[in-house]
Amino acid sequence: MINRRNFLTTVAIGTASAAALAACGSPAPSQTGSAENPVTINYTWWGNDDRAERTRKAIALFEGKNKDIKVNGNFTDFGGYWQKRATEAAGGGLPDVMQWDLSYMRDYGQRNQLLDLGTVKINTDAFDKSLLPSGQIRGKTYGIPTSTNAFAVYYDPAKLASLGIAEPDGTWTYKEYNDFLAEVGAKGNGALFGATDYTGVWWMFNIWLRQNNIEAFTEDGKLGFSRDDLKKWWNQTAALRGTPAIVSEERVTQLAPKSPFGSNVTATEVTWDNFMAGYLGDSGAKELKLVPVPSDDPDNLGLFLKPSMLMVASAKTKYKDAAARFIDFMVNDPEVGQIFKTSRGVPASKTQRDGTTFEGTDKLVVDYEKSIEKYLKDAPEPPIVGFGTLETSFKRVSSDLNYGKLTIDGAADAWFKEAEDLIKQNA
Amino acid sequence: MTQSPTLSRRSTQSAPAPRKSKRSGADARAGYTFLFPWLLGFIVLTLGPMVSSLYLSFTNYNLFDPPKWIGLDNYATMFQDERFLQSVGVTVGYVVFGTPLKLAAALAVAMLLNSKRKGQGFYRSAFYAPSLIGASVSIAIVWKAMFGDSGPVDQGLSFFGINLGGWVGNPAMTMPMFILLTVWQFGAPMVIFLAGLKQIPNELYEAASMDGAGPVRKFFNITWPMLSPVVFFNLLMETIHAFQIFSSAYIISNGEGGPAGSTLFYTLYLYLRGFSDFRMGYASAMAWLLLIVVGLITLVIFRTSKSWVHYSGDSK
Repeated sequence: MINRRNFLTTVAIGTASAAALAACGSPAPSQTGSAENPVTINYTWWGNDDRAERTRKAIALFEGKNKDIKVNGNFTDFGGYWQKRATEAAGGGLPDVMQWDLSYMRDYGQRNQLLDLGTVKINTDAFDKSLLPSGQIRGKTYGIPTSTNAFAVYYDPAKLASLGIAEPDGTWTYKEYNDFLAEVGAKGNGALFGATDYTGVWWMFNIWLRQNNIEAFTEDGKLGFSRDDLKKWWNQTAALRGTPAIVSEERVTQLAPKSPFGSNVTATEVTWDNFMAGYLGDSGAKELKLVPVPSDDPDNLGLFLKPSMLMVASAKTKYKDAAARFIDFMVNDPEVGQIFKTSRGVPASKTQRDGTTFEGTDKLVVDYEKSIEKYLKDAPEPPIVGFGTLETSFKRVSSDLNYGKLTIDGAADAWFKEAEDLIKQNA
Repeated sequence: MTQSPTLSRRSTQSAPAPRKSKRSGADARAGYTFLFPWLLGFIVLTLGPMVSSLYLSFTNYNLFDPPKWIGLDNYATMFQDERFLQSVGVTVGYVVFGTPLKLAAALAVAMLLNSKRKGQGFYRSAFYAPSLIGASVSIAIVWKAMFGDSGPVDQGLSFFGINLGGWVGNPAMTMPMFILLTVWQFGAPMVIFLAGLKQIPNELYEAASMDGAGPVRKFFNITWPMLSPVVFFNLLMETIHAFQIFSSAYIISNGEGGPAGSTLFYTLYLYLRGFSDFRMGYASAMAWLLLIVVGLITLVIFRTSKSWVHYSGDSK
């Protein structure tokens, strides 16, 4: 009995490994359904309740137009999403169609887990040709961008007004932004904080690097920045940590998976502009506004349009045709654009973009992306294999920094050790 | 004839007659036939995966590409991995503090419930219930809400002037929270203790009372030695069980082992290594190390048991 118990510790991991080894079946030929006998495809995405609601509407619309296909939807939050996919991939059971992130494009695409969408029929005529390479690896198309997003600073005008603080005009240096956060914190009286520590956000770091004309990764997949760059970055908010300018890490942890901004605990947040709908839903705020990120060089904001998400299919799907039709529908159909508005980002397909009416806050997002057009640089290619892990550990190490468990030097050392180890592993 | 050594030995011992041997051959066949479903399950679901995970522990395996043999590298790098060492620290702390407290709670409640009183059946069920649902996902979620900012625990303590804030986000308070969670699930060892207590003959207590022994004396000179085999069993089971804590840690920390790594239990880190970082070889090595360590600890508990466990009928 005791031995059996003992063995259980390894069984779990062992079973998964065995499943991984056994998962070498050859993909079955593509199957199609009919209205009487529809095929069912699985679709999974990450997001909050707001996105779930919109996605269900889109699925219902698709099923109404395609009687031979049923779509079985499923969602989780972003963090858990990738652990689930890894488990499924190990067992050979990835869902037929998935919402995907640029960060994980190479991990799965390069390892033959995703369907080469060049082999199926998806219309990409209405796409900006500079955007499509973000879903391509070595000439093969693994993902179709649904939409684009860009980095921005969100703020809640009502909250600022209640504190008697003027709204930002959209041009600020890091010092000005930090001063602004300190002012919010000072007047917020413990109920409202400036922001979450923005130096813990990988993409903001990436933008800062670009503002200093540094690329995060070299072409041969190594780190393009030095330990000192990272230390300099984490020093940006060194004076703010532990003050009301930045919400305490204790609060951030308790609120997770909701963000402090969505929970009305902070007045600003630096993140992707397509989070608008989610934040409005979470916070219940009447209006949220967007301004560009801070930069010490007013002519170089380091901003770029990124595919906010891509649609991919599993390499092992039995229903290639159905999967392709669903992807095509989700990225091109104007009515889908009407359902999602800017909650996935600004639609990437011109057909979908033109077919969508943007009003109110959605118009703010579209206008924001137009307003920064002259600052935009090329979209990044899919980052290196294992990037998702690096992004996660960046957030974790920065969180340890905010807890005071690590010094800035220690944090930079810890992250570099993990990053170098990972790059060596995947070389 | 091909037979297992035990069977042939027995048949030669009892009767060497060929007829009898044939009969026992048929018995063996029937035996193995009945054993077959279990054996198949054991080989396919336990032994096979174990062997493959042992192999993987010597490789660099990312779930997708074929494993690459790297010898003992995984085991060697483990001891330079700060997160690994942190996970060992967290888990050992949990086992060392959680298990004895849980057993003490279980024994104390079992002794209270051992007396003959009205409604004992109800109390027994009530105290046992948490251990039935304790390992479930829903309890971890409830626990997280209870110990969050302005949760019932925070409010309750604030009422008495203790302002700790939420425990979930405070690295210093997460371990006490997990220990409370495990102590609260004392039902299973409690039931076993209760059964053990019922086995102790009442005469011993009566005789002790006649000699003027008080309750403390009775506990240390009668209850504890008489109960020691049960304590031994519970200690063994709960220690092993504590090393395997996973689901509550996964849920409460959103699968990240936070805040500041304070809930990075061994199995959680193992899982993150395997399924978040795609380092399945490393994760397999961690699993084997855990197996070996738990095995060694079991051995040590067994060895020391000779000096403190008393079986009735023993001359000691």
